[in-house]
Amino acid sequence: MPEVERKYVTPGELIAEGSYKPISNVIRIKDKLYATKVGLAEISHEGIRVIPLSGPYIPRVEDLVIGKIVDYSAFSWEVDINSCFFAYLSAQSVFGRDFSPDRESLLKKFSIGDLIYAKVIAYDRTRNPLLSVSGPGLGRIPKGEIVKISPAKIPRLIGKKGSMIKTIESATNCKLIIGQNGIILIVGTPDGVLLATQAIRMVESEAHLAGLTKNIQNLLSKSKEVQS
Amino acid sequence: MRELIDEKGLRIDGRRADELRPLRIEVGVLKNADGSSYIEMGKNKIVVAVYGPKEVHPKHQALPDRSVLRCRYHMAPFSTDVRKPPQPSRREIEISKVIREALEPALMLEEYPRTAIDIYLEVLQADGGSRCAGITASAVALADAGITMRDMVVACAAGKVSGQVVLDLNDMEDKEGEADMPVAIMPNLNQVTLLQLDGMLTPEEFEKAFEMAMNACRRIYEVQRKALMDKYFGKGEAGEE
Amino acid sequence: MMSAVKKSIVVEQLRKAQMIELLSKEKRLDNRGLMDFRPVIIETGVIDRANGSARVQVGNTQVIAGVKIEIGEPFPDTPEKGLLVVNAEVLPLASAYAEPGPPDEDAIELARVVDRGVRESQMIDLSKLVLIPGRKVYAVFVDVNVLNTDGNLFDASSYATVASIATSTMPKFYVDQNGQIKQSNEIIPLPIKGIPVSITMARIGDTLIVDPTSEEEAVMDARITLVFDEDGNLCAGQKGQPGTLNFDQVKTVANTAKVKAKEIREIIKGGITEDAKG
Repeated sequence: MPEVERKYVTPGELIAEGSYKPISNVIRIKDKLYATKVGLAEISHEGIRVIPLSGPYIPRVEDLVIGKIVDYSAFSWEVDINSCFFAYLSAQSVFGRDFSPDRESLLKKFSIGDLIYAKVIAYDRTRNPLLSVSGPGLGRIPKGEIVKISPAKIPRLIGKKGSMIKTIESATNCKLIIGQNGIILIVGTPDGVLLATQAIRMVESEAHLAGLTKNIQNLLSKSKEVQS
Repeated sequence: MRELIDEKGLRIDGRRADELRPLRIEVGVLKNADGSSYIEMGKNKIVVAVYGPKEVHPKHQALPDRSVLRCRYHMAPFSTDVRKPPQPSRREIEISKVIREALEPALMLEEYPRTAIDIYLEVLQADGGSRCAGITASAVALADAGITMRDMVVACAAGKVSGQVVLDLNDMEDKEGEADMPVAIMPNLNQVTLLQLDGMLTPEEFEKAFEMAMNACRRIYEVQRKALMDKYFGKGEAGEE
Repeated sequence: MMSAVKKSIVVEQLRKAQMIELLSKEKRLDNRGLMDFRPVIIETGVIDRANGSARVQVGNTQVIAGVKIEIGEPFPDTPEKGLLVVNAEVLPLASAYAEPGPPDEDAIELARVVDRGVRESQMIDLSKLVLIPGRKVYAVFVDVNVLNTDGNLFDASSYATVASIATSTMPKFYVDQNGQIKQSNEIIPLPIKGIPVSITMARIGDTLIVDPTSEEEAVMDARITLVFDEDGNLCAGQKGQPGTLNFDQVKTVANTAKVKAKEIREIIKGGITEDAKG
């Protein structure tokens, strides 16, 4: 088992000295490695990375996100994906290449305030992210409740190979759809949704702490006892 | 002329020449802001909010390769002895610029092209050294917002009062003393990002005051670090499972 | 229609549907009843340099008010009354939609409604603030700064204004034999006649609620603020938003708000006496 050293860091703090490779949220000046965010530093033979505890969602191509339609033109919808930029969903990608610009049709398909599950198909430093809803499970979200957490905590919520999510889903009998952009959709009974929300909030506040998995299991089983 | 330092070497608020005023920093005090902080330094009370990175409006103000940093230092009308009208004064505009330029070197703005990062400082109560306290709090708010920073920024003023070089001047010392010199540094990279001088110092006094301010900055940096650590890592040990 | 600046939050359709479904069961998204206020927290004396100050939280809405008292000239049409000026600003710190700059129509409306509540209730006996009639009076400036918005700025700003005025102190001035204004060593409070209380309600569909959050305000059809003095008289009122209220709703609002005002008055008085002790 590779040895991993962990410590809490703040911006500018010296994490280690040596020939480590800076992986993420780390800068290297000569042979000193410094953190660039508040977070948990992990030092291993692979290199040094800092898992940040806050920060904006930076889209990556192939990410699945939950977005909110906030505006539209004759050509596309403008989507709030909880990032530095609004994203765009082109009318052509939804209606087909022969579609001629028409605000009425756009409004009928997705209106302001609708939530969509979409994929980021393009994003680079020169333009806003582009979305697509062509694909299984993508498109307008018809029902459910939304919980927003810091995007930095999403990996922890998913867990190793989806383990954390599966645990919460089975204990609450809910379906969870996770957007990489920090937005989670929960579909289930009111009690299930409440419990799932509590579990998600616990992950958010304890993502960096040891013993989180156990605490989550305790929270979920305690509720079961109360119910039965 | 009022005696600002007595025979025992004590200043009007009982401090020694190189003593800092009481200092307190809180992180994450405003719910809507992306990052926020609150600082009390002596009688100074300042709240800072950071919004961003976010889209720039109007679009032509955006830069293609980095984020635009904007900063607004503003004093509440009730923050000073005599009520100050709400409209920004020339002094506030200059201080806004100087604070922005003090923080910019620490931010890795190239990570967020075509965006803006807004820093809003509101001075609720002022008592000398508010721009330094503001810079210190702003760096904490930026870290709270999760913006990539190559270092923190921390600031403190030193100056001359009744012929002596002193640290962290309060309002009266600033008004009636001989010199006031705010300094801001990036404490890990050892770089100066703000230096202003109002008044007269001999070269020796300048060196002494500069050194005094630098050392104080390092002490204040520890308070910044602790405030961030307490907010984010307050309970429990670091771990994976 | 790509607007350059988003002016207000867009509430998700699902969330709106949830809100409306809950309202039909007389509940709200945050589990409150229709007529329940969020927790109201009042701290006074937070800015010791000011003559009076208060920090108020109504749920997540956070407001700070400061009072500065100076000697000035009275308004020409009220030479025998002290001066009262109430300003309000929604600081750019308060939300992603608040821009720096001079107060917009919402902030001006906010300031004027809060001012009316204090002035018309005669909370401060302005006739006791005269030094030389027509020439020199005490001038009371109240500046309200909104630090974080989550709905119901009217009530939060009013409570902060009222609490800061009620706990204000100032040096007593007098006119000497030569007709000069002199400052004495005595510290006196402002002459207060009672605590006016502002209650804001909103109509969403057919349901009336009290103390709306930002989300509820984004969805509401109409809003109404009423201010009551200690005797239960209405001393200020403001209906907002383009939607309407029918006559029954206006009556319901007036009756409900009067009852809520009594409740909130106790909370404000509690916050004020805390300062006196501390």
